[in-house]
Amino acid sequence: MRFVAFSQSDFNHLFPQLEYPPVSWHLVFGMTDFFAWLENTPVSLFVREDFYAYFVLLIVHAWGMAFLVGGGIVVSLRGMGVASGVPIEKFRKFFPWMWFGAVLAILSGIGLLLGYPAKALTNPIFALKFACLIGAALVLRRLSRRYFTADYPAPAKGRWLAFAALVLWLGGAAGGKLLLYTNSVLLVSNEW
Amino acid sequence: MVSGDPYIDPVAIAVWAEEVGIAPIMYTPWGWPIVEIVHFTGLCFLFGAIGMFDLRMMGAVKGISLKAMHRLVPFGVFGFALSAASGFMFVTTAPDQYLYNPAWQSKIGLILIAGLNMAAFYLSGTAKKVRALGPDDPIPKSARLIAVISLLSWIGVIACGRVITAFRPPFHWCVWCG
Repeated sequence: MRFVAFSQSDFNHLFPQLEYPPVSWHLVFGMTDFFAWLENTPVSLFVREDFYAYFVLLIVHAWGMAFLVGGGIVVSLRGMGVASGVPIEKFRKFFPWMWFGAVLAILSGIGLLLGYPAKALTNPIFALKFACLIGAALVLRRLSRRYFTADYPAPAKGRWLAFAALVLWLGGAAGGKLLLYTNSVLLVSNEW
Repeated sequence: MVSGDPYIDPVAIAVWAEEVGIAPIMYTPWGWPIVEIVHFTGLCFLFGAIGMFDLRMMGAVKGISLKAMHRLVPFGVFGFALSAASGFMFVTTAPDQYLYNPAWQSKIGLILIAGLNMAAFYLSGTAKKVRALGPDDPIPKSARLIAVISLLSWIGVIACGRVITAFRPPFHWCVWCG
C-alpha cells in the first residue's frame, strides 16, 4: 500500500462548484498578470506541488482557527451571561491563546493564499470571511474594554455585543468552509 | 464501489441513505456545503467549550474555577451533537469515501479515545474533585493528565478531519477485511 497525496488542483473536481456568480476582479482591475506571476513563484509552486505542504498548511490553519474561534466562542458565551459567577475579566486570560491561534491561522493562511492567490482573491466569500473575523475581534475588544468590569452582568447592550461576536466568529468559520465550494477561478496561469 | 468487506456493506448504507432522504438532501447544490457548515459550527462549539475547559484544567489559564468553566460543557455537548449528526449524513451518503479512508478511521479512533477519557473523568471521581477546587487552587495530576489527553485527541480529530477533505486513498484501506 502507498499513500498518494493530492494537491488542491487534483481534488478540486471532487467538490462540485455551486451556481455562483463569478466576480472576475482580476480581469476588472488588471490583476491577472500579478496573480500569474505570484502563481509561478517558487513558494507558490512549492505549496501546490510538494507532497506534504498543502496538507500541513490546511491542518495548521484548522488548528489555529480552532484556538481563535474556540476561545472567541467561550469569551462571547461568558459575555452573554453563561458561567456567570466567574469574574468576567478573568476571561481575558484566553486572549493570549486566541492570539496564538490567530498567528498560526494567519501564517498558514498566507501559505495557502500564496498557493492559490486568484482562487481566494476573486471570491467575495473570502472578503466576507475576513469581515466576520475582523468584526468579531473588534467587537470582542470593545466588549472587553468597555464591559469586562467587576459589575458585569453588563447592561443588555453588553450581552448583545457578545451575541454579535459569537455570530461573527461562527460566520468566519462558515465562510472559510464555503471557500471550498465557491471559487470561480482556481489558477489564472493554468486555467481549468 | 468496494466489495469484500465481511462486516459492513457500504452499498446497503448508501442505498439506505438514498431511501430515507439523506443522500437526496446532500446532493442538492447547497446540501453538502450547508451540512459542512453545520459540522464546523458544531466543531467550533465543541473545541471552544471542551478545548478551553481542557486548557483551564491543564493549568494553562488561571483564575477561573473549574466549576464555573464546567457550565460551558453543555455547549460542547451541543456542538458534538451537531457534528455527529452532520457527520452521519456525510458517511451514510458516501460510505466508501470514509469507511476505508485511514484519515477517517484515525479520526473515529481519536473520538473514541476522547470518549473513554471523558468517561474516566466523570467515573473516576476526578470531576467531583475538580468541582470543589477554587479559582486558584493547584489542579491534581490526574485531572491535568485527563485534560492533556482530551485536548490532544481533539486536536488530532481536527487534523484527521481536515485530511479527509483532501485525501482520497486510491486503495481499499480495510484491515478488517482479511
